[in-house]
Amino acid sequence: MGTQASVSEQLAADFQLNVTLEQRRRSAAPSNGRVDFPPMNTTAPAGSSSTENNQLDVSAESDADRKARFERDAMQYVDQLYSAAMRMARNPSDAEDLVQEAYTKAFSAFHQYKPGTNLKAWLYRILTNTYINLYRKRQREPLQSHSDTIEDWQLAKAAEHTSSGLRSAEAEALDHLPDSDIKNALQSIPEEFRLAVYFSDVEGFAYKEISEIMNTPIGTVMSRLHRGRKLLRDLLSEYALERGLGTPAAVEGVKGTKQESAK
Amino acid sequence: MKDCEELGDCPDARIEKLYDYLDGELSHKDLVEIKAHLDSCAECAKEYDLECVIREVVKRSCTEKAPTSLKDNILERIGQLKTAGH
Repeated sequence: MGTQASVSEQLAADFQLNVTLEQRRRSAAPSNGRVDFPPMNTTAPAGSSSTENNQLDVSAESDADRKARFERDAMQYVDQLYSAAMRMARNPSDAEDLVQEAYTKAFSAFHQYKPGTNLKAWLYRILTNTYINLYRKRQREPLQSHSDTIEDWQLAKAAEHTSSGLRSAEAEALDHLPDSDIKNALQSIPEEFRLAVYFSDVEGFAYKEISEIMNTPIGTVMSRLHRGRKLLRDLLSEYALERGLGTPAAVEGVKGTKQESAK
Repeated sequence: MKDCEELGDCPDARIEKLYDYLDGELSHKDLVEIKAHLDSCAECAKEYDLECVIREVVKRSCTEKAPTSLKDNILERIGQLKTAGH
Protein backbone atom coordinates (compact mmCIF):
# COMPACT_ATOMS: atom_id res chain seq x y z
CA MET A 1 0.00 0.00 0.00
CA GLY A 2 3.06 2.26 -0.24
CA THR A 3 2.83 3.12 3.42
CA GLN A 4 6.54 3.87 3.80
CA ALA A 5 6.42 7.05 1.78
CA SER A 6 2.99 8.03 2.99
CA VAL A 7 3.83 7.60 6.65
CA SER A 8 6.74 9.99 6.37
CA GLU A 9 4.55 12.41 4.47
CA GLN A 10 1.99 12.15 7.19
CA LEU A 11 4.58 12.62 9.88
CA ALA A 12 5.64 15.79 8.11
CA ALA A 13 2.04 16.90 7.89
CA ASP A 14 1.45 16.10 11.54
CA PHE A 15 4.57 17.93 12.51
CA GLN A 16 3.29 20.90 10.58
CA LEU A 17 0.00 20.63 12.42
CA ASN A 18 1.77 20.45 15.76
CA VAL A 19 3.84 23.49 14.92
CA THR A 20 0.74 25.37 13.90
CA LEU A 21 -1.04 24.37 17.07
CA GLU A 22 1.98 25.27 19.15
CA GLN A 23 2.09 28.70 17.51
CA ARG A 24 -1.58 29.10 18.10
CA ARG A 25 -1.22 28.08 21.71
CA ARG A 26 1.58 30.55 22.25
CA SER A 27 -0.21 33.33 20.48
CA ALA A 28 -3.33 32.59 22.46
CA ALA A 29 -1.90 34.46 25.46
CA PRO A 30 -3.80 32.68 28.22
CA SER A 31 -3.24 35.49 30.71
CA ASN A 32 -5.90 37.77 29.26
CA GLY A 33 -8.06 35.02 27.83
CA ARG A 34 -7.68 36.31 24.27
CA VAL A 35 -7.74 33.59 21.66
CA ASP A 36 -7.65 33.62 17.92
CA PHE A 37 -10.40 31.68 16.21
CA PRO A 38 -11.15 33.08 12.79
CA PRO A 39 -14.54 32.29 11.30
CA MET A 40 -15.25 28.96 9.63
CA ASN A 41 -15.26 28.88 5.85
CA THR A 42 -18.33 26.75 5.84
CA THR A 43 -21.69 28.38 6.10
CA ALA A 44 -24.31 27.46 8.61
CA PRO A 45 -26.20 24.31 7.70
CA ALA A 46 -29.76 24.57 6.57
CA GLY A 47 -32.18 24.49 9.43
CA SER A 48 -29.85 26.22 11.85
CA SER A 49 -31.23 29.00 13.94
CA SER A 50 -32.12 31.99 11.82
CA THR A 51 -30.75 34.20 14.54
CA GLU A 52 -27.28 33.10 13.46
CA ASN A 53 -27.85 34.41 9.98
CA ASN A 54 -28.75 37.97 10.68
CA GLN A 55 -26.55 40.48 8.96
CA LEU A 56 -25.26 41.79 12.21
CA ASP A 57 -22.77 44.60 12.65
CA VAL A 58 -20.68 42.92 15.31
CA SER A 59 -18.41 45.93 15.81
CA ALA A 60 -21.35 48.11 16.81
CA GLU A 61 -22.75 45.59 19.24
CA SER A 62 -22.70 46.37 22.95
CA ASP A 63 -21.12 43.96 25.42
CA ALA A 64 -24.51 43.13 26.85
CA ASP A 65 -25.94 42.43 23.40
CA ARG A 66 -23.02 40.21 22.51
CA LYS A 67 -23.40 38.28 25.72
CA ALA A 68 -27.11 37.84 25.07
CA ARG A 69 -26.38 36.70 21.53
CA PHE A 70 -23.80 34.21 22.81
CA GLU A 71 -26.20 32.80 25.37
CA ARG A 72 -28.94 32.52 22.81
CA ASP A 73 -26.93 31.05 19.92
CA ALA A 74 -23.99 29.21 21.45
CA MET A 75 -25.37 27.77 24.68
CA GLN A 76 -27.75 25.45 22.85
CA TYR A 77 -24.79 23.21 21.97
CA VAL A 78 -23.64 22.42 25.52
CA ASP A 79 -24.94 18.84 25.48
CA GLN A 80 -23.40 18.13 22.11
CA LEU A 81 -20.04 19.55 23.06
CA TYR A 82 -20.11 17.66 26.32
CA SER A 83 -20.76 14.44 24.47
CA ALA A 84 -17.82 15.15 22.16
CA ALA A 85 -15.67 16.07 25.16
CA MET A 86 -16.46 12.67 26.63
CA ARG A 87 -14.78 11.14 23.58
CA MET A 88 -11.73 13.29 24.26
CA ALA A 89 -11.32 13.50 28.02
CA ARG A 90 -12.64 10.04 28.84
CA ASN A 91 -14.19 10.93 32.18
CA PRO A 92 -17.14 13.16 33.09
CA SER A 93 -15.21 15.54 35.31
CA ASP A 94 -12.51 16.30 32.74
CA ALA A 95 -15.14 16.52 30.02
CA GLU A 96 -16.98 19.17 32.03
CA ASP A 97 -13.79 21.15 32.56
CA LEU A 98 -13.02 20.91 28.89
CA VAL A 99 -16.42 22.17 27.79
CA GLN A 100 -16.32 24.96 30.33
CA GLU A 101 -12.88 26.03 29.16
CA ALA A 102 -13.93 25.86 25.51
CA TYR A 103 -17.02 27.99 26.14
CA THR A 104 -14.97 30.54 28.03
CA LYS A 105 -12.57 30.77 25.10
CA ALA A 106 -15.42 30.91 22.64
CA PHE A 107 -17.01 33.77 24.53
CA SER A 108 -13.73 35.67 24.64
CA ALA A 109 -13.33 35.18 20.90
CA PHE A 110 -16.98 35.63 19.99
CA HIS A 111 -16.28 38.96 18.28
CA GLN A 112 -14.23 36.92 15.76
CA TYR A 113 -17.12 34.64 14.95
CA LYS A 114 -18.81 35.78 11.77
CA PRO A 115 -22.61 35.56 12.05
CA GLY A 116 -24.03 33.36 9.30
CA THR A 117 -21.06 31.00 9.31
CA ASN A 118 -21.24 27.64 10.99
CA LEU A 119 -21.38 28.36 14.72
CA LYS A 120 -21.55 24.74 15.81
CA ALA A 121 -18.45 23.84 13.79
CA TRP A 122 -16.70 26.93 15.15
CA LEU A 123 -17.44 25.83 18.71
CA TYR A 124 -16.26 22.31 17.93
CA ARG A 125 -13.01 23.68 16.60
CA ILE A 126 -12.44 25.62 19.79
CA LEU A 127 -13.27 22.52 21.82
CA THR A 128 -10.83 20.41 19.81
CA ASN A 129 -8.10 23.04 20.13
CA THR A 130 -8.70 23.38 23.82
CA TYR A 131 -8.42 19.67 24.22
CA ILE A 132 -5.20 19.44 22.23
CA ASN A 133 -3.62 22.32 24.11
CA LEU A 134 -4.77 21.50 27.60
CA TYR A 135 -5.18 17.80 27.89
CA ARG A 136 -3.34 15.89 25.31
CA LYS A 137 0.20 14.89 26.05
CA ARG A 138 0.36 11.63 24.21
CA GLN A 139 2.59 11.45 21.15
CA ARG A 140 0.69 11.49 17.90
CA GLU A 141 0.70 8.21 16.09
CA PRO A 142 1.80 8.18 12.47
CA LEU A 143 -1.17 7.96 10.20
CA GLN A 144 -1.45 6.55 6.77
CA SER A 145 -2.04 9.32 4.31
CA HIS A 146 -4.65 9.11 1.64
CA SER A 147 -3.93 10.36 -1.82
CA ASP A 148 -7.54 10.70 -2.89
CA THR A 149 -8.95 14.16 -3.08
CA ILE A 150 -12.49 15.16 -3.73
CA GLU A 151 -12.49 16.82 -7.12
CA ASP A 152 -16.17 17.26 -7.48
CA TRP A 153 -17.73 19.52 -4.92
CA GLN A 154 -21.10 19.02 -6.36
CA LEU A 155 -21.96 17.04 -3.29
CA ALA A 156 -25.15 15.22 -2.81
CA LYS A 157 -26.56 13.43 0.16
CA ALA A 158 -26.79 9.70 -0.20
CA ALA A 159 -30.36 8.97 -1.11
CA GLU A 160 -32.22 6.99 1.47
CA HIS A 161 -31.34 3.52 0.40
CA THR A 162 -34.17 1.26 1.20
CA SER A 163 -32.70 -1.43 3.34
CA SER A 164 -33.32 -4.95 2.17
CA GLY A 165 -34.96 -5.70 5.49
CA LEU A 166 -32.88 -8.83 5.55
CA ARG A 167 -30.09 -7.73 7.79
CA SER A 168 -27.05 -9.91 7.89
CA ALA A 169 -26.28 -11.85 11.05
CA GLU A 170 -23.38 -9.48 11.64
CA ALA A 171 -25.51 -6.36 11.37
CA GLU A 172 -28.06 -7.89 13.70
CA ALA A 173 -25.34 -8.79 16.18
CA LEU A 174 -23.78 -5.32 16.20
CA ASP A 175 -27.18 -3.75 16.69
CA HIS A 176 -27.56 -5.76 19.89
CA LEU A 177 -24.29 -4.68 21.44
CA PRO A 178 -24.72 -2.63 24.62
CA ASP A 179 -23.83 1.08 24.47
CA SER A 180 -20.86 0.45 26.76
CA ASP A 181 -19.29 -1.80 24.13
CA ILE A 182 -19.70 0.82 21.44
CA LYS A 183 -18.12 3.47 23.65
CA ASN A 184 -15.26 1.15 24.60
CA ALA A 185 -14.62 0.30 20.98
CA LEU A 186 -14.57 3.95 20.03
CA GLN A 187 -12.22 4.77 22.90
CA SER A 188 -9.91 1.98 21.78
CA ILE A 189 -9.16 3.40 18.37
CA PRO A 190 -6.53 6.13 17.95
CA GLU A 191 -7.75 9.53 18.94
CA GLU A 192 -7.57 11.21 15.53
CA PHE A 193 -9.60 8.39 14.03
CA ARG A 194 -12.04 8.41 16.91
CA LEU A 195 -12.76 12.11 16.70
CA ALA A 196 -13.14 12.04 12.92
CA VAL A 197 -15.61 9.16 13.18
CA TYR A 198 -17.46 10.91 15.98
CA PHE A 199 -17.73 14.21 14.10
CA SER A 200 -18.99 12.37 11.04
CA ASP A 201 -21.34 9.79 12.57
CA VAL A 202 -22.76 11.63 15.53
CA GLU A 203 -22.69 15.22 14.35
CA GLY A 204 -22.98 14.57 10.64
CA PHE A 205 -20.30 17.10 9.78
CA ALA A 206 -19.10 17.10 6.17
CA TYR A 207 -15.46 16.28 5.43
CA LYS A 208 -14.74 19.95 4.83
CA GLU A 209 -16.18 20.91 8.19
CA ILE A 210 -14.21 18.17 9.94
CA SER A 211 -11.08 19.38 8.20
CA GLU A 212 -11.65 22.85 9.64
CA ILE A 213 -12.52 21.55 13.09
CA MET A 214 -9.44 19.33 13.22
CA ASN A 215 -7.29 21.83 11.37
CA THR A 216 -6.12 19.23 8.91
CA PRO A 217 -6.40 18.68 5.12
CA ILE A 218 -9.47 16.93 3.74
CA GLY A 219 -7.31 14.03 2.48
CA THR A 220 -6.19 13.43 6.05
CA VAL A 221 -9.76 13.56 7.29
CA MET A 222 -10.76 10.93 4.76
CA SER A 223 -7.83 8.75 5.71
CA ARG A 224 -8.69 9.04 9.39
CA LEU A 225 -12.32 8.26 8.73
CA HIS A 226 -11.59 5.29 6.54
CA ARG A 227 -9.11 3.76 8.93
CA GLY A 228 -11.19 4.61 11.97
CA ARG A 229 -14.31 3.04 10.51
CA LYS A 230 -12.48 -0.15 9.63
CA LEU A 231 -10.90 -0.45 13.06
CA LEU A 232 -14.20 0.27 14.76
CA ARG A 233 -16.00 -2.29 12.69
CA ASP A 234 -13.40 -4.97 13.45
CA LEU A 235 -13.57 -4.21 17.17
CA LEU A 236 -17.34 -4.30 17.23
CA SER A 237 -17.29 -7.63 15.43
CA GLU A 238 -14.86 -8.94 18.03
CA TYR A 239 -17.08 -7.74 20.87
CA ALA A 240 -20.10 -9.35 19.27
CA LEU A 241 -18.19 -12.59 18.98
CA GLU A 242 -17.10 -12.44 22.62
CA ARG A 243 -20.68 -11.93 23.64
CA GLY A 244 -21.72 -14.94 21.62
CA LEU A 245 -23.65 -12.86 19.10
CA GLY A 246 -23.30 -14.38 15.65
CA THR A 247 -21.01 -12.78 13.10
CA PRO A 248 -20.14 -14.02 9.62
CA ALA A 249 -16.62 -14.81 10.80
CA ALA A 250 -18.00 -16.98 13.57
CA VAL A 251 -20.47 -18.52 11.24
CA GLU A 252 -17.82 -19.35 8.65
CA GLY A 253 -15.76 -20.95 11.38
CA VAL A 254 -18.46 -23.47 12.16
CA LYS A 255 -19.39 -24.07 8.53
CA GLY A 256 -22.81 -22.57 8.69
CA THR A 257 -24.26 -24.84 11.31
CA LYS A 258 -25.89 -22.03 13.23
CA GLN A 259 -26.75 -19.15 10.99
CA GLU A 260 -29.69 -20.91 9.46
CA SER A 261 -31.24 -21.67 12.82
CA ALA A 262 -34.20 -19.46 11.91
CA LYS A 263 -35.36 -22.05 9.44
CA MET B 1 -18.54 -7.37 -1.49
CA LYS B 2 -15.69 -9.86 -1.50
CA ASP B 3 -16.12 -10.82 -5.12
CA CYS B 4 -18.04 -7.91 -6.51
CA GLU B 5 -15.81 -5.50 -8.40
CA GLU B 6 -18.44 -2.94 -9.37
CA LEU B 7 -17.35 -0.44 -6.74
CA GLY B 8 -13.60 -0.85 -7.06
CA ASP B 9 -10.72 -3.20 -7.66
CA CYS B 10 -9.99 -4.24 -4.10
CA PRO B 11 -12.13 -4.75 -0.98
CA ASP B 12 -10.58 -1.68 0.68
CA ALA B 13 -11.43 0.58 -2.23
CA ARG B 14 -14.96 -0.79 -2.34
CA ILE B 15 -15.68 -0.25 1.30
CA GLU B 16 -14.21 3.26 1.16
CA LYS B 17 -16.48 4.07 -1.73
CA LEU B 18 -19.40 3.01 0.45
CA TYR B 19 -18.13 5.21 3.30
CA ASP B 20 -18.01 8.22 1.00
CA TYR B 21 -21.44 7.36 -0.30
CA LEU B 22 -22.87 7.20 3.21
CA ASP B 23 -21.06 10.38 4.17
CA GLY B 24 -22.73 12.21 1.31
CA GLU B 25 -19.37 13.14 -0.17
CA LEU B 26 -19.74 11.82 -3.70
CA SER B 27 -20.57 13.55 -6.94
CA HIS B 28 -24.08 13.18 -8.24
CA LYS B 29 -22.87 10.81 -10.95
CA ASP B 30 -21.11 8.45 -8.52
CA LEU B 31 -24.07 8.63 -6.22
CA VAL B 32 -26.51 7.49 -8.87
CA GLU B 33 -24.19 4.69 -9.94
CA ILE B 34 -23.74 3.36 -6.45
CA LYS B 35 -27.39 3.56 -5.63
CA ALA B 36 -28.20 1.58 -8.76
CA HIS B 37 -25.56 -0.95 -7.84
CA LEU B 38 -26.83 -1.35 -4.30
CA ASP B 39 -30.30 -1.96 -5.64
CA SER B 40 -29.08 -4.86 -7.71
CA CYS B 41 -26.26 -6.39 -5.67
CA ALA B 42 -27.30 -8.20 -2.52
CA GLU B 43 -23.72 -8.61 -1.31
CA CYS B 44 -22.94 -4.89 -1.41
CA ALA B 45 -26.37 -4.03 -0.02
CA LYS B 46 -25.50 -6.21 2.96
CA GLU B 47 -22.27 -4.27 3.49
CA TYR B 48 -24.21 -1.06 3.19
CA ASP B 49 -26.71 -2.18 5.81
CA LEU B 50 -23.89 -3.14 8.14
CA GLU B 51 -22.28 0.27 7.79
CA CYS B 52 -25.65 1.90 8.46
CA VAL B 53 -26.06 -0.14 11.63
CA ILE B 54 -22.59 0.85 12.86
CA ARG B 55 -23.42 4.52 12.35
CA GLU B 56 -26.71 4.09 14.14
CA VAL B 57 -25.20 2.37 17.16
CA VAL B 58 -22.40 4.94 17.43
CA LYS B 59 -24.92 7.73 17.33
CA ARG B 60 -27.17 6.00 19.81
CA SER B 61 -24.37 5.28 22.28
CA CYS B 62 -22.56 8.59 22.21
CA THR B 63 -25.13 11.21 23.04
CA GLU B 64 -24.64 11.99 26.70
CA LYS B 65 -26.52 14.84 28.29
CA ALA B 66 -24.36 17.35 30.08
CA PRO B 67 -24.93 17.64 33.85
CA THR B 68 -27.37 20.47 34.52
CA SER B 69 -24.76 22.27 36.59
CA LEU B 70 -22.47 22.61 33.59
CA LYS B 71 -24.58 25.17 31.80
CA ASP B 72 -24.89 27.22 34.98
CA ASN B 73 -21.16 27.05 35.59
CA ILE B 74 -20.43 28.26 32.08
CA LEU B 75 -22.86 31.15 32.37
CA GLU B 76 -21.41 32.09 35.71
CA ARG B 77 -17.90 32.01 34.35
CA ILE B 78 -18.57 34.07 31.26
CA GLY B 79 -20.57 36.46 33.42
CA GLN B 80 -17.37 37.23 35.26
CA LEU B 81 -15.45 37.88 32.04
CA LYS B 82 -15.16 41.18 30.33
CA THR B 83 -16.02 40.82 26.68
CA ALA B 84 -12.91 40.94 24.57
CA GLY B 85 -12.56 42.88 21.36
CA HIS B 86 -13.18 46.34 22.73
